[in-house]
Amino acid sequence: MILGNNGQRRSIAWRWALAIPVVVVLLAVPAFAGAYWTQLLTYGLIFAVAALGFNLLLGYTGLLSFGHSAYLGVGAYSVAFMVRYWHVSSMELYILGGVAATAIVSALFGVVCVRYTRIFFAILTLALSQVLWTVAYKFFWITGGTDGLRVPYSDLSLLGGLIHFAGDDTYNKFIHSYYYYVLVIFCACVVLMWLIVHSPFGKTLQAIRDNETRARFLGVQILQYRWLAFLVSGIFTGLAGVLWVPLNGLTTPDILYWPQSGKIVFFTVLGGFRNFSGPIIGAVVYNFLEAWVVGFTQYWQFALGVILIVLVLFVPGGLVGTLLRVLTKTTTSMQTKPKALT
Amino acid sequence: MDEQKQVTRRDFLRQLGVTVGAAGLGATGIGATGYLAAPARAAMKPKGNIPSTPIKTGHITFLTGPAELLGGPGLRGHLLAAEEINAQGGILGKRKIETIQADEAAGTDANVKELRRMKLSEKIDLFTGVISSGNTPALGPVAEELKVLTMFNDGCTDFLFDKAVPNPKYVFRVTNIQSADGVTAAVGAAQHWPKARKIASIQPDYSYGRNVHEHFTLALERLTGGIEVVAEAWPKLFTTDFTPHITKLLSAKPDLLVVGLWGGDYVAFYKQALRYGLFDKMKVATTLAFGGVPHAVGKDHPEGVLAGVHANYHFLYPPGDQWPVNKKFVDTYHKRWKEYPSFESDGAYTTLMMYKAAVEKANQLTGGWPDDEAIIAMLEGMGYDSPAGYVYIRPDNHQGYKDAVTGLTKNLPEYDFPVWDPNSIVYIPIRSITAPPNWPKPGQGGNNESTAAADWIKKTWPKAKA
Repeated sequence: MILGNNGQRRSIAWRWALAIPVVVVLLAVPAFAGAYWTQLLTYGLIFAVAALGFNLLLGYTGLLSFGHSAYLGVGAYSVAFMVRYWHVSSMELYILGGVAATAIVSALFGVVCVRYTRIFFAILTLALSQVLWTVAYKFFWITGGTDGLRVPYSDLSLLGGLIHFAGDDTYNKFIHSYYYYVLVIFCACVVLMWLIVHSPFGKTLQAIRDNETRARFLGVQILQYRWLAFLVSGIFTGLAGVLWVPLNGLTTPDILYWPQSGKIVFFTVLGGFRNFSGPIIGAVVYNFLEAWVVGFTQYWQFALGVILIVLVLFVPGGLVGTLLRVLTKTTTSMQTKPKALT
Repeated sequence: MDEQKQVTRRDFLRQLGVTVGAAGLGATGIGATGYLAAPARAAMKPKGNIPSTPIKTGHITFLTGPAELLGGPGLRGHLLAAEEINAQGGILGKRKIETIQADEAAGTDANVKELRRMKLSEKIDLFTGVISSGNTPALGPVAEELKVLTMFNDGCTDFLFDKAVPNPKYVFRVTNIQSADGVTAAVGAAQHWPKARKIASIQPDYSYGRNVHEHFTLALERLTGGIEVVAEAWPKLFTTDFTPHITKLLSAKPDLLVVGLWGGDYVAFYKQALRYGLFDKMKVATTLAFGGVPHAVGKDHPEGVLAGVHANYHFLYPPGDQWPVNKKFVDTYHKRWKEYPSFESDGAYTTLMMYKAAVEKANQLTGGWPDDEAIIAMLEGMGYDSPAGYVYIRPDNHQGYKDAVTGLTKNLPEYDFPVWDPNSIVYIPIRSITAPPNWPKPGQGGNNESTAAADWIKKTWPKAKA
């Protein structure tokens, strides 16, 4: 169904070939970039996983969620609870526990939300995420309130205890090991999401996005598909929350607050939500941008606001969308017609 | 604690060493052990080779939003100290101070990233600043991980050294510990309004507000006996509309309201409360009414309100004729910034000056530029004559201690904003209101309270006859 003709197949092969040098560069980053840039890129890759999940809803299913902070937060807090109440130190157990917790929460939230679309969907997701925020904020004897809960890397162990960071002067070791750990998971998530959006399931989601009525007439169970998309989206974002918390060192209710959802929307728009790699690039670029702007000027909110306005008004395709359009224009003489971007 | 000793309120306050009025300054003394690094002693010749590369300091504080009322003066205090040091050629006559600033309003997670950037990318030598008690427990452990010498200005939560960094090596904090804030307000209230029994409380809904509420009510119960909390309001931090909370407080008809709102929040609150005549209907004790720049509170502010300064410093006290260090600081600060300093100004200024004193002393012992270990050893147990009085850094928890102070608001013709009524100022020796060294931390040694201070008060304070 998806690899129907040779042209498409060639184009896809070409894109995967392009991914190889990117992965090689990513593998080499810690060798030349130093701890600061490496950890910043780690943040970027983690949020890219969240953006991948978010974009399954926005880009492929046509649903704008304004509550994805909920899944980041559930992922992060489930790790923090495992540390605080059960003294778990294994990253693999964090992932298992965090993903299970987000799966439950997004399955429940999904049941409520997918009955609606457009602004109603956005408001519902926002409201539900703020319920979780209030819980984290108000039940401070359980959640630590605004002080948050710490997840110190010094207690962390990776790969079933093979790598750990106890002792003195382990910060650089942690950053380097953790970067590669995140990189592997990131690559796996990219491949997995690519397979999902190019599977019959993904194509069905796109059909629903483009014309719900028509999809319904074709016999597609709209709500079930949307709910599944919601679930997968939540799980990816929850996984990002799990990966984020040891790197950040603690989780506070900020991770559940609506500006965090806004950020996920921001970097998806920044990269471009109409193509697969847009949210990934957007998340990475946004992290560098935010770190740079906050350090550079006290008017950081203003600067980010201006960037958002410029994006929406002049670069609606986002960084990747616009870049691809420019590339397509320059190579248009070689092609009979521009291909749909996936 | 049913078998508590019963004392009269007057005896109790006397036992605490509380004094009232400007003449009470004699009480602010050197109660603690430690050596004194007086500014006047700084003229010793540096030993060994000192590099001329600048000292890089990172300073994160609120540069935007309602909390800028505290962050702004803090930064200006820091910059003034840097300018004074640089005018003498820098620390040890060679190394000038450079400051990298960032906005604390970017949020806890962004602050964590920014501290990492400052250390790993900018290679700062010293990290300073930080106002919010939500941020120091996040940044303290990060500073320890990064091994960056850190002297927080504020963010004074007990939680930082009780729990988040229980055995600090690199992290210090200069201004008074948070529990002292609620207790100081309680002592001030007990002194001025001993008959108040029905208490209402409005606090920002985060760790600071809960800390103030808990320690204020705990201490006041011991000081006056028989109090009853009739209303609690918990507006979110950085809220601007307090109307629903004000009407709730009014309907409870309390004798006394304790307010832990700060920065722009307090200014918005008092202006809205004025419209409801709240200040005519109850006594009001605050922890931070005079916490921002002094002119942030206008002359429309009612007189006779207990105006807290975070238990730290107000620019008129200690009076210049009795404490020349303060007069000199206020004069140079006013000349430089065209405004009067706040407790954050004093905190940030004193931070850099203590760092300078520690480096100079370490240089005398080791020669050359001392490493962090040597500077830390000098900071531990250091006493310093700051504008606010004598500050002492306790070696066991790296926390600064100085005698606490509060007073009632009054409009004096010399100033465009309210100041303290000189006859109302309450001085409290800090050792009387904070847990002593090595008191069990929360969760240890039978301490099941939220702070060491709360446990200490519950176990050792007598109870005044109601």
